[in-house]
Amino acid sequence: MNLVVNGEPRTLDVEARTLLVHALRDGLGLTGAHIGCDTSQCGACTILLDGRAVKSCTLLTVQAEGTEVTTIEGLARDGELHPVQRAFIEHHGLQCGFCTPGMILTAVDLLERHSDPDDETIRRSLRGNLCRCTGYHGIVEAIRAAAGERNGTS
Amino acid sequence: MDSVIGVPRPRTDSPEKVSGATRYAGDDVLPGLLHGWLVLSTEAHATIVSIEKEAALAVPGVVAVLTADDLPVVAEGSGRSNEPLARSEVVFSGQPIALVVAESEAAAEDGAEVVMVEYESLEPVLDLEGAMRPGAPLGRHPGEEDASGMESVHAAVGAGEQELPEEELSGNVLKRSFREEGDLEAAFETSDAVVSGRFETSWIYQSYLEPQTATAWIEPGGVLVVSASTQGAFMSRNELADLFGLPLDKVRVRAAPLGGAFGGKLMLVEPLAAGAALVLGRPVRLLLTRSEDFQASNPAPAAIFELRVGARRSGELTGLDARIVCDRGSTIEWGLEDISSTLVGGPYRWRAFAIRSYGVQTNRVTFGAYRGPGAPPAAFALESLLDELAAQLELDPIEFRLQNAVVEGDVGVSGRAFPVIGARECLERVREHPIWLERNSLPEDEGVGVAVGYWPGGNEPASAACRLDRDGRLTVVTAVADMTGTETTFAAIAAEVLGTTPENVRVVAADTASAPFAGVSGGSKITYTVGRAVERAAEQARERILYVASEELEIAPSDLEIVDGVVRAVGSPDRSLSLEEIAQKALAWGGRYEPIAGQGGVAQPSSAPAAAAHLAHVRVDHETGEVEILRYAVAQDVGRALNPALVEGQMRGGATQAIGWALYEELRYDEHGQLVTGSFLDYAIPTAERVPQIDTLIVEVPAPSGPFGAKGVGEAPVVAGPAAIANAVAAATGIRPRQLPMTAPRVWALLQEASTRTETPPA
Amino acid sequence: MIPAEVEYVRAGSLEDALDALADPEAKVLAGGQSLVSVLKLRLVRPRLLVDIGGLELRGVELRDGELRIGALTVWDELVEASELRRPALAAIPECAAGVGDLQVRNRGTIGGSLAHADPASDLPALTIALGASFVLRSPEGERAVPAEDFFQGPFLTALLPQELLTEIVVPPPPAGSGSAYESIEHPASGFALAGAGALVLPDGTRSVGVTGVSGHPFRLDSPDEAEAMLAGVDVFGDHFASAEYRRRLAEVTVRRALARAEQRREEDERWTA
Repeated sequence: MNLVVNGEPRTLDVEARTLLVHALRDGLGLTGAHIGCDTSQCGACTILLDGRAVKSCTLLTVQAEGTEVTTIEGLARDGELHPVQRAFIEHHGLQCGFCTPGMILTAVDLLERHSDPDDETIRRSLRGNLCRCTGYHGIVEAIRAAAGERNGTS
Repeated sequence: MDSVIGVPRPRTDSPEKVSGATRYAGDDVLPGLLHGWLVLSTEAHATIVSIEKEAALAVPGVVAVLTADDLPVVAEGSGRSNEPLARSEVVFSGQPIALVVAESEAAAEDGAEVVMVEYESLEPVLDLEGAMRPGAPLGRHPGEEDASGMESVHAAVGAGEQELPEEELSGNVLKRSFREEGDLEAAFETSDAVVSGRFETSWIYQSYLEPQTATAWIEPGGVLVVSASTQGAFMSRNELADLFGLPLDKVRVRAAPLGGAFGGKLMLVEPLAAGAALVLGRPVRLLLTRSEDFQASNPAPAAIFELRVGARRSGELTGLDARIVCDRGSTIEWGLEDISSTLVGGPYRWRAFAIRSYGVQTNRVTFGAYRGPGAPPAAFALESLLDELAAQLELDPIEFRLQNAVVEGDVGVSGRAFPVIGARECLERVREHPIWLERNSLPEDEGVGVAVGYWPGGNEPASAACRLDRDGRLTVVTAVADMTGTETTFAAIAAEVLGTTPENVRVVAADTASAPFAGVSGGSKITYTVGRAVERAAEQARERILYVASEELEIAPSDLEIVDGVVRAVGSPDRSLSLEEIAQKALAWGGRYEPIAGQGGVAQPSSAPAAAAHLAHVRVDHETGEVEILRYAVAQDVGRALNPALVEGQMRGGATQAIGWALYEELRYDEHGQLVTGSFLDYAIPTAERVPQIDTLIVEVPAPSGPFGAKGVGEAPVVAGPAAIANAVAAATGIRPRQLPMTAPRVWALLQEASTRTETPPA
Repeated sequence: MIPAEVEYVRAGSLEDALDALADPEAKVLAGGQSLVSVLKLRLVRPRLLVDIGGLELRGVELRDGELRIGALTVWDELVEASELRRPALAAIPECAAGVGDLQVRNRGTIGGSLAHADPASDLPALTIALGASFVLRSPEGERAVPAEDFFQGPFLTALLPQELLTEIVVPPPPAGSGSAYESIEHPASGFALAGAGALVLPDGTRSVGVTGVSGHPFRLDSPDEAEAMLAGVDVFGDHFASAEYRRRLAEVTVRRALARAEQRREEDERWTA
């Protein structure tokens, strides 16, 4: 099957049952997609599929035929971190880091549709991403700051 | 140069973590890697009759099906630490029975699915109080070998403990302890109010986002190498060596970057991956699924606290009578009952107390440490009753607590004097906070609660090493598993000592073959102990740097200073040498100076207890029982905030876990001992939409022997949170929750009960 | 966790899909947000997965005076659809916005969810309240089934083995109507412990569907007597929430949904004016 991963066309030879997260991790070495649960709750495996955040643990690889996948490894451009990645660093939006790739990619999707989300919108949007370390405080601040930077209001 | 201590800085591992570049224990690529999959017991208590491997071995890709007999374990005795796979008696549902090893994860799972285990069921012991009664069925059949492994009911008396009165108890009671001081009944008689209550808390799952993972392989020379999500490389190495009868130099453990741990990651999966690698001679990875992790790891245990406390109208606390029952699940090696019995006194002075505690085995999972082990339940019980006393005596809850709060030198119920502790200072800070000041002008369904708690702090000798590299940057080497950003803090400590920037210090977590000793990352002791060792190692390196500079510049070391990575004469900064120049001189072929290095060690004279006061502002939906946290604040004594951003991260993370304890989290077992909340679909942890932004108030009461006055910060912020939320719920509703978590159905039931009571006319 | 071995076919047309479903051990795969989850846990083990994700059954439109929603429309499209801005239909995006999480709403289809028929799922209650019907397609042709007849039990619907849900048809309420959806969620799963969808017509007629409390969602025949009506329902309880508690939550959600639907009537009048 064929798909584009982080801008590069890829051909994968997988069983029908192979979940996309396993294909990304084991097949392509993209281990930034983490597996934190088996019931689609934690969001650590979140990727962008055609620009939208989805859980790569709840998708068969074959379902991604012909799509464009962006993983956390593909978010930086020309060696420059994405503004959301930078904001997570500056605003202490991470501790252990296991939820971080999923959090960031969900935030990227959120900011695509809401240019200036309030805290409630941010928090609601993170419902499918669990974090056990930070209490979400720094994560919310980071997303708010990234939105502000984009709108030139930071 | 400005001090780097007290300056907020991002964790040094942030760029890798936001890029997905961090390699956790499950991310390493190894040629020929095999994958393990566990077969878990479906019975809570049973004897294994047979294990059929053939069907699994026939699955394409399956390499081996290992059972207890196949592992090269030499340790005798039962208990999970000696028995990574069950030998004959299964003592909890979810106990690992077999390990299927295959060329792919999918094949391993396919194989595990068809391993057939035949059991002979035994009666499961599940009711905690019932398990204690004489004649109760036993949760584990005592074997001959257990005599050495199990603590006797008449175990040795520890510090502050006293002789035990006779009691009729079953063999499920693995440990009792008793602490007594003063005339308790006299103390209650002189009290103007005495309140009592029975408090229950649940099994709580650490919920680290990264499930437990270990990869093991054999290196040339027969060295077993384990890379694991472990909190203690040295502890894992020692225990693996004991378990498999290997010399210490034939076991090497590396603590991989941790995807959260909170006390729960120690030696659960390492023995399984290591055992399989030893048997098969190939690299083996065992990565628990979340469901397995829920069933088969080591959560915090349930407890029952029965408390009676008294106070005088003057506000003086009098007596504390406590009976504490701690569920040990199937753990026989240790229990939380001792620590709970010392924590139940809180950071307060008591005229008299009597504290009995019991550790009881049941057919539940083994328990483990979780952030402030034993402390949140103890604080929940005590701080709830203190609020009731304050209400009865018409005392201000904060003034009442302040009046009784310990200061340095006061002897606690542990029998030991408290070192410096900032409980009073934390209470004074929250007293001024808007949440507290506005508590009497809220809508009817809202309320504010306060509570204070402390963590005594861990203490273990530790060491660190450093060297100045030829680029003038310092490399610090420790064996620490970084849980809270300690590497970032070590860099700041070393930079401050050396007179350079944290960017010029790199911190390396080495494996047990080469790192200086450090203990388990737990107990809130890494910054306090290893941080001090890093400080001393850097001081030694600094002395050597100054010696070289002194020789080269012909200036006495006492007339030199290091500023921004440059050694210069005090008062004439043009006479200088950079650290890079000094390093190169000390590393030159035929050179006359020793390489610049430092060794630091520490054995702290005492622990450094950390206190924290919490304020919770809640709204209770009287129709549904749902509790919403509207505002939250934590004031914590951290000694010295070496990096305020990291400290606040711990405070907020701890407070959020406290919200989980208070409102949502509970591992529930059915009447057969089966876990019914074994996934994040059933077991709720706080999500982003259920917690508010959390206000942090950093209080600094320096620890005399901590690095720059710092003390550990990890555990304290969880301790009093559930109590503060319970007190807030009481303020909003008038009901007094006695059980955690305060789920919506439970709060609703209490509200129903209260409204029925008020509707019923007095008899 | 990894699904058991399975075969997979991507349907190029509705006819292809129906042909493939002749296999009695075939399962329809749409967004996968319900099915892949249970495949992973190996709770279902079909021989064949028929992926209909590529079919043109997507979108929200007003056609022939009816609101027609394609079965492959994802939740997020319902949240954003301009056709659903009317206060009389506001319950639909409101309900959709509360389903799962952002990732699930990006990928999960309403047809997949409805056909999955989780007894705690939200939208079924609302489709009943709105008087929606479901278009089912089989090799024999097409039939329309009223929402309240579609849901027959936990994970059990009126769908025949070789039949696909293709469209949800909602009769647009007259101007001056209001709708709302209310639920009390399980704190972990987000599924409804009890949920109620409500529609109030200009003449005051009230229509309510209830979910989460019994084997399948149902219509509350006399919403004004919610308490009495619910007293006759066989409400289930579990370790988290007792039957008594769920029954009370159902009453609360019915009352709250009706109150908000009532409020929206005036807004709808202004909107449609």
